[in-house]
Amino acid sequence: MLSIQQDVYNIVQAKFLAAEIVKSIHLNVSVVDGPLENNNRILTLVEYNKSFALFVLVSSRVQPISFSDLSIESVIPLDQNFSFETEPVRGQNYVILIIRYKQNRYEFKIEIGKESCNFAAEIIHAKEVSLNSSTNFTWLEKYFGTMNQTNKNSNSSINDQNDFVIIRDGMAQGQASINRESMLKYQLKLREPEFTQKQEFTIFVGTWNVNGQPPTASLKSWLSCVETPPDLYAIGFQEIDLSKEAFIFNDTPREAEWQKSVMDGIHPNAKYRLVALSRLVGMQLAVIVNNQHYQYVKNVSMDTVGTGLLGKMGNKGGVAVRLELHNTSLCFVNCHLAAHVDEFERRNQDYKDINARMNFRRNPQAIKDHEQVYWLGDLNYRITDLTNLQVKTLLQRNEVTTLLRSDQLNQQRERGNVLLDYVEGDIAFHPTYKFDLNSDIYDTSEKARPPAWTDRILWRGKGIHQVHYKSHMELKISDHKPVSALFKSEISVVDQNRYRRVHEDLLKKMDKHENEFLPQVTVDQNEVVFNSVKFREPQSREIIIANTGVVPADFEFINKLNESTYCKDWLRIVPYCGSINPGEKCDVRLEVNLETDLDNIDDILILHLKGGKDMFITVSGSCQKSCFTQSLSTLVRIQVPIMHSKKEDFNSARNNQSPILYSVPRELWLLVDHLYRHGLKTRDLFESSALHEELIRIRDWLDYGSQDPLPGTPQAVAETLVLLLSYIKEPVIPFELQDVCIAAASNFQNCRQLLIQKLNDIHRTTFIYICMFLQELVKHSNDNGYEPKTLASLFGDILLRDQIRNAKPQASRGKANFVYNFLVNDLSSSLIPK
Amino acid sequence: MSTGPYNYSYIFKYIIIGDMGVGKSCLLHQFTEKKFMADCPHTIGVEFGTRIIEVSGQKVKLQIWDTAGQERFRAVTRSYYRGAAGALMVYDITRRSTYNHLSSWLTDTRNLTNSSTVIFLIGNKCDLEGQRDVTYEEASKFAEENGLLFVEASAKTGDNVEEAFLETAKKIYQSIQDGRLDLNAAESGVQHKPSQPGRNNLSNDQQTNRDNCAC
Repeated sequence: MLSIQQDVYNIVQAKFLAAEIVKSIHLNVSVVDGPLENNNRILTLVEYNKSFALFVLVSSRVQPISFSDLSIESVIPLDQNFSFETEPVRGQNYVILIIRYKQNRYEFKIEIGKESCNFAAEIIHAKEVSLNSSTNFTWLEKYFGTMNQTNKNSNSSINDQNDFVIIRDGMAQGQASINRESMLKYQLKLREPEFTQKQEFTIFVGTWNVNGQPPTASLKSWLSCVETPPDLYAIGFQEIDLSKEAFIFNDTPREAEWQKSVMDGIHPNAKYRLVALSRLVGMQLAVIVNNQHYQYVKNVSMDTVGTGLLGKMGNKGGVAVRLELHNTSLCFVNCHLAAHVDEFERRNQDYKDINARMNFRRNPQAIKDHEQVYWLGDLNYRITDLTNLQVKTLLQRNEVTTLLRSDQLNQQRERGNVLLDYVEGDIAFHPTYKFDLNSDIYDTSEKARPPAWTDRILWRGKGIHQVHYKSHMELKISDHKPVSALFKSEISVVDQNRYRRVHEDLLKKMDKHENEFLPQVTVDQNEVVFNSVKFREPQSREIIIANTGVVPADFEFINKLNESTYCKDWLRIVPYCGSINPGEKCDVRLEVNLETDLDNIDDILILHLKGGKDMFITVSGSCQKSCFTQSLSTLVRIQVPIMHSKKEDFNSARNNQSPILYSVPRELWLLVDHLYRHGLKTRDLFESSALHEELIRIRDWLDYGSQDPLPGTPQAVAETLVLLLSYIKEPVIPFELQDVCIAAASNFQNCRQLLIQKLNDIHRTTFIYICMFLQELVKHSNDNGYEPKTLASLFGDILLRDQIRNAKPQASRGKANFVYNFLVNDLSSSLIPK
Repeated sequence: MSTGPYNYSYIFKYIIIGDMGVGKSCLLHQFTEKKFMADCPHTIGVEFGTRIIEVSGQKVKLQIWDTAGQERFRAVTRSYYRGAAGALMVYDITRRSTYNHLSSWLTDTRNLTNSSTVIFLIGNKCDLEGQRDVTYEEASKFAEENGLLFVEASAKTGDNVEEAFLETAKKIYQSIQDGRLDLNAAESGVQHKPSQPGRNNLSNDQQTNRDNCAC
């Protein structure tokens, strides 16, 4: 392998993973029918675990210097759908490589030689290996995302519809990262002075209308007229072929002939390489660079615009090449504008059309957007208002300046009609048109056209200094004389080290930015402590979530792993989600409401910021015991109010280890007894809702005990009774018995049997005790308005409480029926334990 | 100007775990901001940081979850292990207790992540040589016995911090390359395309609103 190829090989390999081995590469491949500049493809054969694929890489530089210069245009797996062949082109030193994959067809021009033979052999071998082993192409999937959209679009020969070669640009790279990319480019441009320095390059620009003649004379006197070899040449011709064939098919052997003549004629003291050759019918533009600068030329692109017949044919118009030399964008435009003295307006229009229609399909796309533009060609502007004789007389007297006042281009530029912001150097040479062939004599034919400065070179951009601007009388084969201009142009040259530093710095800043743009909030407390939380006496604390970041923060309390709610059931968070703008706050209320028997409350809340961090908020507190959340069997074992019971006594009562002291809980008896005495005649005893404070007072009276009489109205006491029965740890009719009780509800004897056989003494006694009280109420129904049915329906849901509150509302009727039995039948002593 | 790709093709999720006060947040800060954060408050929750790095020429976005080290949060922070491609397990070389707890952190990691998760052991605060309580050799042996990558680092001086994060990424990348890591598995901790940070197990759409919630 040549050393250049070895270098590129290493760069290409870097584009892939280590296990993906680049087996073979082919450089300088161009796409058939694609624009000429596209010889920057690199065909790459890659193997991963005996499966092969062909990658079409596009290099943004003529010769890549880093893997980042390469983008993947297509990925073609070498499976059974893959086939290829080569097609020689007569008289050419290249072949067309045709690759088929399913319904897609790719065509590439590759030069015939050892490299192409080897490459083809590798593909044949790879295909054999691929087919003989069970290959897996999943490793290719990741590359679909890296394929280059821009290149893809500009390449007409590759079918975008391919079902395997998918473009995944948009998919793989989210909106955010696209912004990131443009941001980085923008920032890099802003900081360009930090990592570039201006360096002067010599640019030789030449233009010649060759009048359809073949190159029979050496161009040395024109192209090598300067002492030091220029750094870059831009040589434009017009009318290299005036044949119909050239006009119609846009194909001419003259292209190669003139190009060879240019390569032979450029400065002998340096080696040059062609960067781009753009041609439309007779207009041809070659950009050639001194070898030492070749690697700094990148993003070469070209386009042509026809403004001739029908406004679009290529007999007139412009051809252009754009490129970046180091860090400066250059554009060269070679034009041939409309002919004839009177057609200056047509010429102005051609100029406008060229500007409007020239599109390089990469940034910047238009001529005007380039930092430096060199405009050359046969602009065809004539000398007006002077006869042929007058012109010639002035020329004999060498009154060029006088004559230039009659130059249409100068006049039109002064009026702002054409090449407005371009600069042209002083013209010190005589008109370059029109000469008798092979002479220095102006047109002596019948038409006797007056001489004119048709061939011109202008420029636009900063840091451009013209060194010379002249015509070359030695070349006589055309009716025009060639013109040349030498420029010393300032080019921004990147200092790689400084560039890397700036680039790194920007990346770092952007990472930092990204982190700064994460939502940020603070909470004023991470630990919320509640003191002695009491039964059904809600307490709340506020926490303040403040948005201390620069973006709106969407917060939400989220579930912990394996939990179905974001907080425990004794806690309520209001609001549990929301959005806070930067600098603003949100008060979140944490409300504790205890309805079960807990010694302590404890929870860790996860406050999640959408797209950001999570914060933990610990909620804790101690709870106060209450009779309301105990079980019947605990309550009947406690002699004193629950708050006065000693810890050991309470614990042994809770564990059913101490003796039963009461047949029904003391607290229940106190409430029922109070109602016996004060509430039997109270209308709607169970229906009015008592004040919260009243209930709290009764709760405390029960839990703490007191010498004072039971506080509160009969309704409040009745409501407390309902609460007690609703919250005791197990309902009076335990959960597991409820279904059978409901099933037995139609028959009192069965209900009675169930009660005797299944219910333990404490629960049975309590149940009967309640029912007897309810029967007593019924006896006073004239006063209190309660019928057995009403009471049964009310107490059915309480005495046979659902495990999860109101889980089975459809069972209410059955529960009521069950209780009803005990309100209308005689509760004989046999139900009471002996 | 290079026209290299600035975008990333992968996202790796990392978690940083270890006892309280071993310097997890400082390591994250040093890695993302290249600064030492003195007087760093205890993390109460899970901090989140990101940085784009390059591994074998591919841009990778690291999504780093820095977890609270306090024992009382242990049950909650376990939620965050799932879907981590890399776990940085940190102890403090000047406090033996933090080293002694490693096996419990390791058990959690093994139980809660998948088999291809890369676990990197970091002995932090190696700038405090004078107060060393855990020798390099024993930690190194522990790492070797358990198949962990290991360095001693300093979030204060920045020593080895970059290395630990990058080595982990390389190792993950290697796993993808070798096919050991199934990119399609939800729990691989690796994503092809960028997205908002989020976790599988704590996703918001699983949220069940309580009946009594006023929202």
